[in-house]
Amino acid sequence: MSVEETMAVDLGMRVLVVDDYKTMIRIIRNLLKQLGFVNVDEASDGSAALNMMRSKDYGLVISDWNMEPMTGYELLREVRADDTLSRTPFIMVTAESKTDNVIAAKKAGVNNYIVKPFNAATLKSKIEAIFGEQSR
Amino acid sequence: MPRRRGNDARRPAAFVPGARRRQQTVATEIGLLVHTLRELAAIKNTAEDAAGCILAHAEELLASADAGEAARGQEALLSIMTACGFHDLVGQRVTKIAATLDGVIAARVARTPRKTKAVTPRLSRRASALEGPGFPGASLDQDSIDAILAKA
Repeated sequence: MSVEETMAVDLGMRVLVVDDYKTMIRIIRNLLKQLGFVNVDEASDGSAALNMMRSKDYGLVISDWNMEPMTGYELLREVRADDTLSRTPFIMVTAESKTDNVIAAKKAGVNNYIVKPFNAATLKSKIEAIFGEQSR
Repeated sequence: MPRRRGNDARRPAAFVPGARRRQQTVATEIGLLVHTLRELAAIKNTAEDAAGCILAHAEELLASADAGEAARGQEALLSIMTACGFHDLVGQRVTKIAATLDGVIAARVARTPRKTKAVTPRLSRRASALEGPGFPGASLDQDSIDAILAKA
């Protein structure tokens, strides 16, 4: 299932998973491990994630939307507004499936958007789409 | 001597039992709602425990299987793992219901004749602007979201 077979991606890059549900973090962490990613960090909300991003380099952020005190959408906006972080690939993984929310995330610069519940193939295809785009 | 108007003299006696009855009814309702909130919290915890247990066993199977077995079972095990995301969705729905009940309790308390400490609704204004999990057929699926993102 590794993404290395389908694209040139650095599996040693750091991936940050942001969710306030430990179960969801554990699920995504397991899926990333199966995809071949070995350095996966976690944060329980946007502000914790932002602090981590300012102290370490992350090659990919996978974030939930609905968290307190800082939502995933606010994190996305902060990341895109920060010169150092603005190019970090960002996938939103959320139960928010209103058209307005998807459009807002797109306008804010999300690279991909996954609606919960999702499966391993969906996560894999969205990661491939991002790094495929970057390598072109 | 002040003039009595109508049946004012009888009003306090008639009002007090009525008010007390209303107060008791409201207190009973609030008690039931608080009990329901506790049940919802228990549902959330039970779902979390169940998801954690299933995940732990799936992880163990994935780690212990040899290469051939792992390849055969991997897809099924990953499906089991992602299905554990039910805990997140159940949790979000339970949180929405709990916030609604908090609001009902606050409204009931505000309507009681005697001032009682008001209950603050659990959801922040920002969080209440989000919808959480939608209903089947009434929210966007992954293909529709992909189509929106694909538009230039």
